[in-house]
Amino acid sequence: MKFRTKNTPDFENMSLSDRERLLGMVGQGATRRDVMRWMMALGATAAASGTAFGSATAAWAATPKRGGRLTIADDQHGPADTLDPALFASSNDYFRGRMFYGSLTRLTPNLSYEPELAEEVLSNDDATEWTFKIRKGVEFHDGKALTADDVIFSMNRHLGPDTISKAGSLVDMVSEWVKVNDHEVKAVLNSPNADLPIALGTFHFKIVQDGATDFSMPMGTGPYKVKEFRPGVRTIGVRNENYWTDGAYLDEIEHFGIGDPVARLNAFLNGDVDLMANLQPRAIEMVNAAEGKEVWSVKSGAYVNLACRMDHSDSNNIDMILAMKHLMDRERLVKGVFKGEGSLGNDQPIGAAYFDHCPDLPQREMDPEKAAYHFKKSGIGGTTIPIIASEIGPGCVEQCLFLQREAKKIGMNIDVQKVTTDGWFSTVWMKAPISAQSWNMRPTANIMLSLAFKSDAAWNETFHQDPEFDKILVEVRGVQDPNLRKEMYCTLQEKIHNENGCVLPAHRNYVDANASYVRGLSHVPINNFGGSECAPTLWRDDV
Amino acid sequence: MQALIAKRLFIGLVTMLAVSIIIFLGTKILPGDAAQIRLGQSASAENLANLREKLGLDRPYYQQYLTWLGNFLSGDLGNSLSGDAPISGLIADRYKNTLIVSALTALIGVPISLALGIAAAMYPDSYLDRSVSMLSVVLVAAPEFFTATLLVMFFVLFLGLGSTIVSGSTEGMGLFALIGHFALPIATLCFVIASQMIRMSRAALLNVMASPYIEMAILKGLPRRRIILRHALLNAIGPIVNVVALNLAYLVTGVIVVEVYFSYQGLATLIVQGVQTRDYVMVQSLGMIFCAVYVVIMLIADIAAIMSNPRLRHPR
Repeated sequence: MKFRTKNTPDFENMSLSDRERLLGMVGQGATRRDVMRWMMALGATAAASGTAFGSATAAWAATPKRGGRLTIADDQHGPADTLDPALFASSNDYFRGRMFYGSLTRLTPNLSYEPELAEEVLSNDDATEWTFKIRKGVEFHDGKALTADDVIFSMNRHLGPDTISKAGSLVDMVSEWVKVNDHEVKAVLNSPNADLPIALGTFHFKIVQDGATDFSMPMGTGPYKVKEFRPGVRTIGVRNENYWTDGAYLDEIEHFGIGDPVARLNAFLNGDVDLMANLQPRAIEMVNAAEGKEVWSVKSGAYVNLACRMDHSDSNNIDMILAMKHLMDRERLVKGVFKGEGSLGNDQPIGAAYFDHCPDLPQREMDPEKAAYHFKKSGIGGTTIPIIASEIGPGCVEQCLFLQREAKKIGMNIDVQKVTTDGWFSTVWMKAPISAQSWNMRPTANIMLSLAFKSDAAWNETFHQDPEFDKILVEVRGVQDPNLRKEMYCTLQEKIHNENGCVLPAHRNYVDANASYVRGLSHVPINNFGGSECAPTLWRDDV
Repeated sequence: MQALIAKRLFIGLVTMLAVSIIIFLGTKILPGDAAQIRLGQSASAENLANLREKLGLDRPYYQQYLTWLGNFLSGDLGNSLSGDAPISGLIADRYKNTLIVSALTALIGVPISLALGIAAAMYPDSYLDRSVSMLSVVLVAAPEFFTATLLVMFFVLFLGLGSTIVSGSTEGMGLFALIGHFALPIATLCFVIASQMIRMSRAALLNVMASPYIEMAILKGLPRRRIILRHALLNAIGPIVNVVALNLAYLVTGVIVVEVYFSYQGLATLIVQGVQTRDYVMVQSLGMIFCAVYVVIMLIADIAAIMSNPRLRHPR
């Protein structure tokens, strides 16, 4: 999988194992020259290797300390909280999942993967068979050794038409999981998928014990053991002394949700919690100004957008859509609403945080003249265009209001109708001709596009039909040649950029906040709390 | 008297039954159902059908209602539809917080409010009366989240006392430790309930003070304090007890804003979460508990009003 290492390996973007290796070298007194030689052998430039040496030296000065306790506030919790990985539904479930379980692979900050409970991951040439060699010597919290049976049981919970799994669609190309021997399993696919190990590094594919049915006090292989789990009240994890690798530095983690953003911020600023999820953009400056508090922002492909239904006569006028695309004040949205913790959207979902982002697609700017041209061509004149919006995410309503104001200048009448969030997905989304949406990032471009842009996707919110798009999207799954892969993904992104009813003005970072003595933060861009991946590596600098 | 209580209890039960039907229909009118919300947008039609069947959501409404009613009457609250946890367990985790906060608020807030109201009535149009009236008008106009924010700003962020959220276990705490633990929520709620009680007790007293027998007492030259405490107060108890009862019931059922703001888990948050996840079983069970609280507290208030008033005690 060499082609996945696209980023120059500066220290933050290195895989965990490379980073640990580098730290080890620095710790043992390696010189700048040693490190550069090693890194250039890996394919890094001299400049990057030099920077990495600097970062690694700084990082080694901050070698994790053991001990202490952290109190962590997520942004929601409730009676639906669960420890059953297949049923995980929200960020707080994902965080607990990382605390208590392990998975076959682990995602890295550049959205590649590295082996975790699988010590080796191999595929055949056309990516239709994947072999996972299970790490030996890993124990569950009750002392039982991890074997292929546990893996097969865990994986089978996501297969088949009757599965209760919320992530079944990510692995629906797997026809079966085969046990090769006690420490080797094989996934047999019915269509090629070069990204399977990445999907398996996401939230739901945690390894549970063979035969597990009761998930009130489950056994995992994670860095912390369940001490207390009370849905909607709190969860306490204590260190797993037998954790198989580095990590599990804290004695105890207390985790709960504070739904109200102001209360959450107050609790954080007052030191009642050490980490808080989902910092509201308007509070970013406040945290930056507070002593001993830091903003923990991870650049991501999450976005806000307007979804114009291409199957609805009120919203399928491509010139009207292009006019709206040219009226979006993207810079102002990122600066004003996201306080700079975001990036410009380019009317297609695969932002720069994705591995398969296409940098060659020119950035669409606000251009009232082009907008006026398309508006005139559309022939809608003074007809009112209703957009329904709700506070389902930061920027959702604001993007509409910004658009409304710019549209007025060229004589386009936009009526923004704000409704409550409750019932949004069952009454407005994919029903109204134009609605404002907020999307999270997905681990790969293919997952994102298959989920929400393929013609027959359940979440194809614009109802855009394009057989050619679908064909490329399916074909690229098996493509292992990096150049061809890039070209194909660029075509897909360009098609959305020009033809789809998706008006996408901005990507937002995942923004959380931490007390500055909290170290070991992760930077995987697919969710808050560094992709919900931070639990194993968190430590306190003040113990 | 016993006949009266029995009659009221019977009416209470009928009320609860009616309320349960209304709540049930209410949860069904809302868009979406528990299976849909639990599985999220990605659910396939098959998954949804499976889960609906498992949760019994595919049966006709009257059957769902009757099953719930049967289980409820036999003492089985059932499992949450949103996460399979037993509802009795979810309630057990939360009722103590609700109970402690409402009891302590009542213990502190009710006597202070009544004393202020009576004092205001004792010296009408004095500076004391005016400032108390003004204070209660301001308090009734300030929403809980505003009062709570001010309290947090002043005590926690400015003075550095206590914490902004109420977390941790209350096991084994004494009365004063509990008051300290829940100080800010209790203070917020005291402010919220105080205004109504102050104004009501003052108004009720002044109303009685306008009646002829009090005029007689004044003409006899009795001191005002004695007139109020001995002659007027007893006749004003009816409306005062009623407003106290309403506030107590509110403390058990309606403190959602305070619970969310201070992030402690109580029953009011649970019922809101139940509504959000369309978990009608949980909403029903909590609705019944709340309804029972109202029925019992109002019954006690009525009994107190009747006991204190001979005209009601011996109806013609």
